[in-house]
Amino acid sequence: MSSVQLINIVKNYGQVKALNDVNLDINSGELFTLLGPSGCGKTTLLRTIAGFHKQDSGTIKIDGSEIDDLPAYRRDTGMVFQDYAIFPHLSVGDNVGFGLRNKNVPPREIKDRVAEALETVRLSGLENRLPNELSGGQQQRVGLARALVIQPKVLLMDEPLSNLDAKLRIELREDIREIQKKLKTTTIYVTHDQEEALVISDRICIMNSGEVSQVDTPWTVYKNPEKYFVASFVGSMNFVKWPRQSWLKNNPLSLKEISLSSKGVVLDPNKENIIAGVRPEDISLTSEPIDKDHQNIVMSGIIEKISFSGREAFFHILLEEEVRLLVNVSRPDELSLKEIGETINLVFPKNALMFFDEKSGSRC
Amino acid sequence: MKLLNSVNNIWTYVIILAFGVIGLLLIFPLFNIFLSSFIDNESGVLTFQNYIDILGRRYYRTAIYNSVVVGVAGMIGALVIGIPLAYFTSRFHIIGKSLITTLAILALVSPPFIGAYAWITMLGSNGWLRHILENVGISIPTIYGPLGIILVFSLKFYPFVFLLTAGALSTINVSLEDAADNLGCSPFSKFIRVTLPLVFPAVSAGALLAFVLSLADFGTPSIIGRNYRVLSTLAYNLYTSEMGGNPGLASTVSIILICISLIFVYFQRNLIKKKDYGSSLIRRPEVKKLKQAYSIPVHFLCYFLVILSSIPSIVVIFNSFRNTSGPVFKPGFGLDSYRRIIGDVPEAILNSFLFSIASVLMVVVLGTLIGYVIARKPSVLTGFLDSMIMIPYIVPGIVLGLGLIVTYNSKPFVLVGTPLIIILAIFIRRLPYSVRSSASILKQIRTGVEEAAINLGTIPSKAFLKITLPLMMPGVIAGALMAFVTAINELSSSIILYVGGTVTMPVRIYLSVLDGEFGTAAALSSILLITTGLAVYGVLSISESKENVFV
Repeated sequence: MSSVQLINIVKNYGQVKALNDVNLDINSGELFTLLGPSGCGKTTLLRTIAGFHKQDSGTIKIDGSEIDDLPAYRRDTGMVFQDYAIFPHLSVGDNVGFGLRNKNVPPREIKDRVAEALETVRLSGLENRLPNELSGGQQQRVGLARALVIQPKVLLMDEPLSNLDAKLRIELREDIREIQKKLKTTTIYVTHDQEEALVISDRICIMNSGEVSQVDTPWTVYKNPEKYFVASFVGSMNFVKWPRQSWLKNNPLSLKEISLSSKGVVLDPNKENIIAGVRPEDISLTSEPIDKDHQNIVMSGIIEKISFSGREAFFHILLEEEVRLLVNVSRPDELSLKEIGETINLVFPKNALMFFDEKSGSRC
Repeated sequence: MKLLNSVNNIWTYVIILAFGVIGLLLIFPLFNIFLSSFIDNESGVLTFQNYIDILGRRYYRTAIYNSVVVGVAGMIGALVIGIPLAYFTSRFHIIGKSLITTLAILALVSPPFIGAYAWITMLGSNGWLRHILENVGISIPTIYGPLGIILVFSLKFYPFVFLLTAGALSTINVSLEDAADNLGCSPFSKFIRVTLPLVFPAVSAGALLAFVLSLADFGTPSIIGRNYRVLSTLAYNLYTSEMGGNPGLASTVSIILICISLIFVYFQRNLIKKKDYGSSLIRRPEVKKLKQAYSIPVHFLCYFLVILSSIPSIVVIFNSFRNTSGPVFKPGFGLDSYRRIIGDVPEAILNSFLFSIASVLMVVVLGTLIGYVIARKPSVLTGFLDSMIMIPYIVPGIVLGLGLIVTYNSKPFVLVGTPLIIILAIFIRRLPYSVRSSASILKQIRTGVEEAAINLGTIPSKAFLKITLPLMMPGVIAGALMAFVTAINELSSSIILYVGGTVTMPVRIYLSVLDGEFGTAAALSSILLITTGLAVYGVLSISESKENVFV
């Protein structure tokens, strides 16, 4: 178990700032996820920690000691690759034992530890198979065993599930979570899949354009995003622009019948345009008329489109010209008779609204 | 699979024609060689005596042993030169990388006997380099013998290893190397334990080519080997011996040559079985900058190797402009040698061009058509055709020449002594190259375009001519130029098939070198080299995946 500190990490590729002053403290034993869209720098950061390329400036510490000058093969990290990177010319057993052999572990001990590692990833008895006889999911289990067996200070996982099909992905991520909890190996996990990040992580670091947007527990990241980018990337959200002239004059947000400025939200008059957001699952739909109260916001709109996916349904509601809200209905039963073009009432609690400064993207 | 996809179209005739050509020019001659290896030279009865003689007598056994020794050593030399060159040029920024590749390609396509001859003028008994070294007090042995053969083979055949390995190295999944790094593997151990095993199929294919071609080569051991007997020279000598040739024994030697090649082909196929590491999940390796400290030694090594392999060409062109008096070089430079060849042997030059162009035209037409049926009309028959077409790769030119003589020296088909037999020999030997290149181009052209034409009402044969053929054209021309290069440099079958009037440049060079007419040899070789160079330049400028055309 080891902690990892990243201090002022900068990495440029020509004009592109791949990593722009990244500072992170990863606690011993936690599963820490780097989440972001492709090109956000998450994989670059992971590969910098592994030592495959060097940062332009900044320092990486494992357990308090700098590792900047250590080549990749001396860093004692275990990496699980997106494309598995299982050596195709070696048997499963030799793959898993590869790192131990580099450490001159005696053959008998290698054998025992390989068997143990394969048992951990539920592949017992497959030592003599060749990789091309294994499925993708099994190959990635071998990859995991191979990285774990050397008892690395840090386990690095680079989108390990992205090449697997949906069902396997869920199965394997549960296993990874379980094994990590049991072994308590400090793990840095890279993914672009927000659901995967929410399910698996102790803490999530959301990255955008080489910078850290927010570091928090999955719960906080989802419920209390600090930035517009975080709110838009994790989960889905309805956003409505609220122009500066409009809120300065105390005009309501361009949603029918809402008057927000008077209640609750205090806005800095230096702010520019504001973006208001509400998550689709926070909105309820009903055909019944609803009484207005100061806790809730009530509106009505026209059903434009219904996407039914069994467990849930998404209603696209047109409020007024060019203003649409997406509403997630988790038990769509009673609304099943609704048709496109019908008018429907919407209600959501005021405190479900989040406001972001359009220019800086931060919460306000 | 059906035996044939459909019967009533022109491709059926192509398949019949292909089998006819292969049968008449390849299978039947080889069968005759096989038969004649069991026939006693004097009594004409069926016997195992030839095999008993060859395998039982030390004189012949030495030739088998020597052939394998120089073949294996040449192969090892090719590996030692080719692998580092491939590694450095594919993984690091090397200044003038395309120059290195071009020099390697030139070394590959220039005829090996020119290499042998050039090394003799440098390090033979009268070699100028030896004289210079002797004058400064360094005495080195002459180049003659097995070491000379191995040197020439290594420098001649390394480009196969180099080009194939470089291709493989730049397409392996670099995550595997990263994984080795991550698991604590030092760079050298990573190369040995991970990188090399991953490119093993390509490395071994290059090594096999180097071995098979070394084994089959006639010019090099004959010119530089002196008394060092190998199977190819033995077969030639047995056949043309002044004390009356012995076709039976020559045939037996031929069969043994083919068997040795087959053993190595089988061996290599077995080694790479189940070693197809291709994967759709690929992160290509990036080309890195060399560390300052390594930059100079690595550049030096790369350039040293390719320049060493191009020395023969440079020396030959240099020699061609030296003044000569009869067989001896004189001080000063001039066009003496060129005047002599134009005066004395114009027919060699003319013949070479005529025969090569004639055979290349045949190769291109039939090769393109056969390539098409193999790539586009998969059936049991075309699959069989595909494997038959590979036979010329392992049949040495000497053996094919013998086979054609044995087969076509009696009525009704007397071809021996005609230009046609030389053209046919070159044709059948070069056919596989053209078939393979057109089949591989076709794999890159989607079948949809031709089907679209047919769907819009074009008849199939016209669809091929109007749609697919134009798309194949760059590849076909590149293939034709390559076939021309190998055709004009052909020695080993022509040396057996030529008569006075059908002498070609390579044959003339060979004879001149044997007679010590080094000036004539140099001038003819220069013409060959420059023609070859121009053709290669043509290939490089029209072909997209450059190196792949050559191996």
